[in-house]
Amino acid sequence: MAEKFHTELKTLRNDTSKMAHFGRDMLKTSVDALIQQDWDLATTVIAKKEEIHEMEIGIEEHCYQLIALNQPMAKDMRIIACTLKVITASLRVGRYGKSIANIVKDISDKPHIANLMSIPHMADLVIEMVDDAIKAYETDNITLIEEFSSRDDTIDALRHSIFREGITYMMEDPKNISRCTNYIMVARYLERCADHACKMAENVHYMNTGERIEIH
Amino acid sequence: MSENTIISTSNLNLWYHEKHALQSVSMKIPKKKVTALIGPSGCGKSTLLRCFNRLNDLIDHVKITGEITLDNEDIHAPATDVVTLRKKVGMVFQKPNPFPKSIYENVAYGPRVHGVKDKNELDRIVERSLRHAAIWDEVKDRLNDSALGLSGGQQQRLCIARTLAVEPEVILMDEPCSALDPIATAKIENLIELLKQDYTVIIVTHNMQQAARVSDYTGFMYLGKLIECGKTVQIFEHPKEELTENYITGRFG
Repeated sequence: MAEKFHTELKTLRNDTSKMAHFGRDMLKTSVDALIQQDWDLATTVIAKKEEIHEMEIGIEEHCYQLIALNQPMAKDMRIIACTLKVITASLRVGRYGKSIANIVKDISDKPHIANLMSIPHMADLVIEMVDDAIKAYETDNITLIEEFSSRDDTIDALRHSIFREGITYMMEDPKNISRCTNYIMVARYLERCADHACKMAENVHYMNTGERIEIH
Repeated sequence: MSENTIISTSNLNLWYHEKHALQSVSMKIPKKKVTALIGPSGCGKSTLLRCFNRLNDLIDHVKITGEITLDNEDIHAPATDVVTLRKKVGMVFQKPNPFPKSIYENVAYGPRVHGVKDKNELDRIVERSLRHAAIWDEVKDRLNDSALGLSGGQQQRLCIARTLAVEPEVILMDEPCSALDPIATAKIENLIELLKQDYTVIIVTHNMQQAARVSDYTGFMYLGKLIECGKTVQIFEHPKEELTENYITGRFG
């Protein structure tokens, strides 16, 4: 019975890994669509909303079934607890991708201001954090998340800088207000995605060590 | 020693013939708490439990070294009276084993042996013990019926009442629910929760979920050694030892 349960636990982790990559790809594709002002690419991201939601429900159900039927303990229990948090974070990351894609559709009519400011660079750093959090979940390698606190500080600083730069362009010309507001929104969504990567990292740490940490 | 410790073992070793069944076991049992002993078959849980009321004395070729204290007194000291010890440390076994007597006589037996003769006093003890064992309402109208007519779960609670009648300090339970159905098991588990208000309970169980549900502290034993002992929440959420982790997650055992 234990063997069957551990096989199911592996399947659960594989499914979660797939979902986490799916959410991460939604975010990455939306940023690509933003940079290239690609309306069609943005549409493909928006179309994935239902699919990621269904993935989350399926995995959540599987977690509850495993708990009800096996009463897991120790690391087995922590894997399921962590998985429940990882799927929530992944869903949020995917949905922020969808929100960015919606913005792409609103602002693809005119060229970007100031080459999107630091948004592409910020997006790269955020996606790297999401990638490392997912990899740590997949491989139990918590050294990947050691620097998350300072990486998150960098993201916060970038968001603030984009905010200030955006305000400057708005003050220069009120016609920029709508576009810059959207840039500020994108920076906000990216910053939230980094926070979700931190949440994943905290839970992966708990899954592997049984100890709670807080990443600010 | 902490005043909250009721039983303490120090470097306890036990051999059955050549078999080294307990190896350097040192542990403290907290007073008025439930302590569970878990581990695979043959790891020494029951042997350790039976050391606490010197039940292993009844087996030939047993050699014990090390110390066990109850209320800071060495239970192997020459001055220790085994009958008094077993009055203080009661025991409930895997299979309910009521005497082939009436329900009343099962509970009154212990106090009688210990010198209580007054009928009113015995009535009081019987009622109090049956109430404490959460079986009074089910048997109060048939106290003179044979105990063997009770269901398995009722018989086990009667055995607990019989133990309580001599006012022990510690109750040892060796797989008390393994012969019972889930409903009778739930009743015993609820009872254990009530008992710890007045008594120290040490329970041996194969059922880890049961250990997790009923105990405050858990000791994990493996091949005669106490591998890890700590708060139940810690043992089942994040055990320190890899062996404990592997056992409670079903990777061996």
